[in-house]
Amino acid sequence: MTAVLTILVPLVTAALVLLLRGSTLLTRLVAMAGAVATLVLAVLLPGSRPFSAEWLPGLGVSFSVDGNGAASVLVFAVALMMIPALLVALTRVEKGAAGFAALLLAAEAGLAGIFMARDLIVFYVFWEATLVPGLLLLGLYGGEKRREATAKYLVYAVTGSFFMLVGILALKTLSGAASFDVIDLMLVTPDLPVATQTWLFIGLAVGMAVKLPIWPLHSWLVDLNEQNHPSGAADVLGSLYKVGAFGFFAWGIPLLPAGALRVGPILLALAAVTALYGAFGAIGSTHLKRFLAYGSLSHMGIIGVGIFGMHLAGLNGAMYFLAAQMVSTGGLFLVGGMLYHRRRTFDLRDYGGLAKSAPALAALGLLVIFAFIGVPGLSNFPGEFMSLMGAFQNAPWPAAVATLAVIAAGVYGVNLYQRVFQGDGEAPVKDLDALEMYVLLPVVVGVLWFGVMAAPQLRRIEAQSQLTTLQLERVATPPMPGETLSLGGAK
Amino acid sequence: MSFPGVLDIDWNVMAPAVALLITAIAALVFGLSSRDSRGPAAVALLGVLTAAIFTVAHLFSGNEGAASFGLRYLGDVPATALTLVILVGTAIAILVSWDQLERGGMGQPEYYPLMVLSALGAVVMASAGDLITLILGLEIMSLPAYALSAWRTRDRQSEEAGMKYFLLGAFGSAMLIYGTALLYGASGSFVYGAVAASLTGGGLTLLATAGGALVLAGLGFKAALAPFHQWAPDVYTGAPTVVVTFMSVVIKVGAFAALLRIAATVFPALQPWLLTALAIIVALTLVVGNLTALMQRGVKRMLAYSSVAHAGYLGLALLAANHGGVAAAAFYLSVYALMNAGAFAVLTLVMDASDQGDDLERFAGLGRTRPGLAAAMAVFMLSLGGIPLLGGFTGKVLVFQAAIDAGYVWLAVLGIATSVVALFYYFRVIAYMYFRESSHAPHTFRSAPARVAIVVALAGTVLLGILPGWWHTLLSVGPRFLAGN
Repeated sequence: MTAVLTILVPLVTAALVLLLRGSTLLTRLVAMAGAVATLVLAVLLPGSRPFSAEWLPGLGVSFSVDGNGAASVLVFAVALMMIPALLVALTRVEKGAAGFAALLLAAEAGLAGIFMARDLIVFYVFWEATLVPGLLLLGLYGGEKRREATAKYLVYAVTGSFFMLVGILALKTLSGAASFDVIDLMLVTPDLPVATQTWLFIGLAVGMAVKLPIWPLHSWLVDLNEQNHPSGAADVLGSLYKVGAFGFFAWGIPLLPAGALRVGPILLALAAVTALYGAFGAIGSTHLKRFLAYGSLSHMGIIGVGIFGMHLAGLNGAMYFLAAQMVSTGGLFLVGGMLYHRRRTFDLRDYGGLAKSAPALAALGLLVIFAFIGVPGLSNFPGEFMSLMGAFQNAPWPAAVATLAVIAAGVYGVNLYQRVFQGDGEAPVKDLDALEMYVLLPVVVGVLWFGVMAAPQLRRIEAQSQLTTLQLERVATPPMPGETLSLGGAK
Repeated sequence: MSFPGVLDIDWNVMAPAVALLITAIAALVFGLSSRDSRGPAAVALLGVLTAAIFTVAHLFSGNEGAASFGLRYLGDVPATALTLVILVGTAIAILVSWDQLERGGMGQPEYYPLMVLSALGAVVMASAGDLITLILGLEIMSLPAYALSAWRTRDRQSEEAGMKYFLLGAFGSAMLIYGTALLYGASGSFVYGAVAASLTGGGLTLLATAGGALVLAGLGFKAALAPFHQWAPDVYTGAPTVVVTFMSVVIKVGAFAALLRIAATVFPALQPWLLTALAIIVALTLVVGNLTALMQRGVKRMLAYSSVAHAGYLGLALLAANHGGVAAAAFYLSVYALMNAGAFAVLTLVMDASDQGDDLERFAGLGRTRPGLAAAMAVFMLSLGGIPLLGGFTGKVLVFQAAIDAGYVWLAVLGIATSVVALFYYFRVIAYMYFRESSHAPHTFRSAPARVAIVVALAGTVLLGILPGWWHTLLSVGPRFLAGN
């Protein structure tokens, strides 16, 4: 039941917040209580019992969710980041804060559903439904060019996911699986002919690659982040909603391993390009939000390299990195929102010298920037390192290219700190107030937690990664006729 | 197998149709003596609800094999379930018309009796087990609808709509009747099952297939399948919006109910090129409907073309009639009736009393001025676009899965590709409502019955999205149609 509640509690809270919209204090309390309750549930997920109930029996669809495996880590990261995002939304959004908070909570429920679904149709339902809060947040609360950004986001996301839907529906018919349950599918789908698997994998990959996102399907992300509400709260959701890598990890590769092995190298190369492209994009950006969008795009490239390296360590690392970057990227967007609150601009050229008048903001900003660029001991390092290490085992060249992005990250990360906080800026700004302290507290906790306590969480991810590698082994070494015989003879 | 006597009447099967007939007469008599059109509306609503109670009672009685007149009038699950859908659609249309007729000066007493009669025709079509019953149902349904399209008297557009609908509709009827004659000539029977049975062993299949093609074309007119759809946008634009609320739902359900049954029984016995032709028609409908809807600035016209597009999605289920397509189509029609009628109901509240002003600009800022109305419209648009957790998504998944199971993968791919286009024009309405400021005076017209209709449609759309299992399971009872073979 814990898994179901992790979806239901934020959803019900969102509905309550919408109904209460009038009284602000009560609305805020309800929203925060819902978010905290969800965080508690997310902490309890490891070891919780899977839940399954009939949903559309005529089609073989059941509402199956399971909070174990990689889901436990990812849902925890989402629930943790939702708290500062809500705090900011409820205090910094001038008009319609209740609606903003409700959309954030609805998105939280959808994300939890994506990560915990154990039925392919249910996974798709959450995948697609979560799009709506994101679109509304951008369209309702975004900047001047929000309509164009919304349209772009809609076209990219929907085109991708509809291709995915064809693949999903054909998958069951062609494989003859008993239902859309993950186990039923995994048993039979790897036995499909290689050509069929390749086509189906391409169908799924289009949808997932858009939301990874991978170059050249990435441009919606930059516009989305640039145009989102300046407080950064909506961008936290944006950085949570890069779920493509999880789709490949939990569904694409284990269901269609032969297809993944054939298409994987192309995706691997694209992911390496994405990592480098994102890094250079960040170096060349003068708009803070575009900078962060490109930086996180670079991270997603490294995650992609970890996934498509198709090595156990890389898969573990990629999922861990995905969870960890939710905290560091989201946290940096919130810091960006605080900077905007002080100076009313995102243009990095207008900043400088903030460390003098706002030392606490500078210190915490530095911590989150360090986490963002993968300094050891902080959140992004273990996942980034393992992603690349895993990829080096199977594909050294793309991994080497992606590693250049890590070096570049050092450049643009330090550069960012210098441009904003050092140098000789004139106008003094306010340092962190109490509210902003509370906002950054979960971020700091998350950054340290993911940096230091990697082992237990990686173990939970590995339980699921092993399934993926098992499926890959199933198709990589098909049992030759007579093979067992000769082995027996050798003994 | 020998057929039962002609005068075997199962009153449980006949009850909804009889109730509608009595209602139409009662509303007409009542209307003659009342000044206001709301009196007949109440009578009509009461009658439709009574018919719905009979229908639900029969649906849950477990008596799926019931029929009357020697399998010429059927009471199997698809017939009963689609009858219920027709009745719900009619009830919504009555509620939407309740205040609008007086507002638009259209309160002549014959309006509701005609609407109920038209619904009766659709019910007969859904229940028809032979071609003669089908023709009767089609005419009972169509003639009142022609009159209703021209209801705004002294309005050139409305009169033109009625005339156009009548001329093209008569053409469609003629094709259906001619096709029926050919099928009878080839098989010597009108009952679907007997037609199929006598053709399966060979015989005059070319003649019969030509007849089947004409039947398909005739019903294709009513269902607005391309290239027989051209009347739809013009009639939908010209006819009063309250009438379109009724037509876009009830007539489509009636036509598809008949098409489904024929596709499941008669078509497999005909030459295979007919199914190829149907596949091409479906592909054309999907492309034409969605692309032209994308180009519309008026919401009413956009919804008209979108209803053509939805005929395409239903056509996918038609092709897969024997691969779970019947239940898929029945589910799709259930959701479609709710979400489409709901969208038109919102539209009637946004447009002027004279049925002008359906521009996208009229929706600008609706999210602020009428938050409830805008939220309902947003849900209907998202559901029509096939966004999950709303009924439209479940319907699409069922239809696509049926098409893939039946081997029409390319059509499913085309259907999904055109869905992307569809989502774009549906989302545009939402974007106007929420992302733009209004430049018009706020919409002030309110109507309590219309609000009830919107809430019913909204609840149904959401319920069929969140908990689709029970309704789909109910629709899946019985492996195939009761066809009389």
